[in-house]
Amino acid sequence: MDSSVHTSLLERIGDVVLPGDLLFSFSPPEAGDANPKADRLICGPGLRRSGAEIRVCRAGVLKHKQPNMYWVNCQQRRYVPAKGESVIGIVTAKSGDVFKVDVGGSEQASLSYLAFEGATKRNRPNVQVGDLVFGQFTIANKDMEPELVCIDSCGRANGMGVFGGDGLLFKVSLGLVRRLLAPQSDLVSDLEKMFPCEMVVGMNGRVWVKARTVQHTLILSNLLEACENMSTAQRHTLFRRVADGGI
Amino acid sequence: MAGLELLSDQGYRLDGRKATELRKVQARMSVFAQADGSAYLEQGNTKALAVVYGPHEIRGSRSKSLHDRAIINCQYSMATFSTAERKRRPHGDRKSSEMSLHLKQTFEAAVLTELYPRSQIDIYVKILQADGGNYSACVNAATLALVDAGIPMRDYVCACSAGFVEDTPLADLCHAEESGGGTALALALLPRSGNIALLQMDARLHQDHLDTLMEAAMTACKEFSKVLDSVVRQHLEEVSDLTRD
Repeated sequence: MDSSVHTSLLERIGDVVLPGDLLFSFSPPEAGDANPKADRLICGPGLRRSGAEIRVCRAGVLKHKQPNMYWVNCQQRRYVPAKGESVIGIVTAKSGDVFKVDVGGSEQASLSYLAFEGATKRNRPNVQVGDLVFGQFTIANKDMEPELVCIDSCGRANGMGVFGGDGLLFKVSLGLVRRLLAPQSDLVSDLEKMFPCEMVVGMNGRVWVKARTVQHTLILSNLLEACENMSTAQRHTLFRRVADGGI
Repeated sequence: MAGLELLSDQGYRLDGRKATELRKVQARMSVFAQADGSAYLEQGNTKALAVVYGPHEIRGSRSKSLHDRAIINCQYSMATFSTAERKRRPHGDRKSSEMSLHLKQTFEAAVLTELYPRSQIDIYVKILQADGGNYSACVNAATLALVDAGIPMRDYVCACSAGFVEDTPLADLCHAEESGGGTALALALLPRSGNIALLQMDARLHQDHLDTLMEAAMTACKEFSKVLDSVVRQHLEEVSDLTRD
């Protein structure tokens, strides 16, 4: 990829891009090029290649990650399964040796009864229709049915599996989920200071919360839903009022 | 009594616009919290509300699903209070079914359905107040709703109506101009590529005039795309300002 093209792309980082926008056109690598793979560009969500052009297909803010990954950050509510992502699902049916799990995507995911820690043909996991499961995708391909597992690569549960005897499950936007799962999330630390709680956040926009009392659980869920359209300053003001007992 | 003079000697229309001048467009995105995407659009006195759900599992029979792409399901309806005379059937009549089909064909040209096989995308559009250009208002509102839902598209779809009065092409017709008995053309355009998603014409028109009429409609569509651009940009800037921690 030409360095001038790369520079022009970097200038657009943080800009709002719209469907149909042409990000750039590139020429095929010449025969004399030493290593064409070194300049390879990775198109993330919201970008697509058509011929020799990279075009935008979703409205949002153009983002970049070193060295050469680009994507469009957009506020989306509907989840599209992706391999390796951890999600909260609801068991909807049991058909043979697999459970059907609703993850909020375009089709239900399958979860094998052997995909739990310590599960064998004799020792089956206790999973009922309606249970909440926290798992991750091993297969998430647009042409195949998504597959969930509740164990990591070592065969350990590692926090996954059936959960949620009490607590409250609700849905938020995928943008808010990404903010909650950020490594140093101000939002989560502010909430934990006010009400100590258990929280399970799925990349599919589902959040499960359990605090000491039902009242605290409901307050937490309302606060999280309110945070979706608030600036940092507005959020701090709201949290201060809640902490002072003003609401 | 003589009929309404649709175009004055000075070149002004009934509502004071020039021949190629568009009505004032106002739009808002994310008007419903529960839907995946929603938009409200006013095009003069025509007001449309669009809501998008999906991509989601196919409702009802699984046999309807397509293995290689998503199904786009459109439903057009008019509020009972949208016209001067109360509508008996808000949707389900022949005209609404035809409009739903046109919307489906239009958005199949723009949405990247191949990214979501065995899925369904629902687009519901309601006309709250009708004053001509219903199809174009629906398309423009639904485009904003699809953008709000984050559904990948090749390009915007912008639509506009155009008519022909006294050898003059008129863009963005109001109700009086549409019901005047002349030619009415509806055009849906993918503005960046210049591809036509849908072209529909009522009444007869001489072949010599078709190019000028289409040119007027395409120019109007490109103007609409600038308006929609600014609406989306403004909305995204507001959202990104709020979510910037």
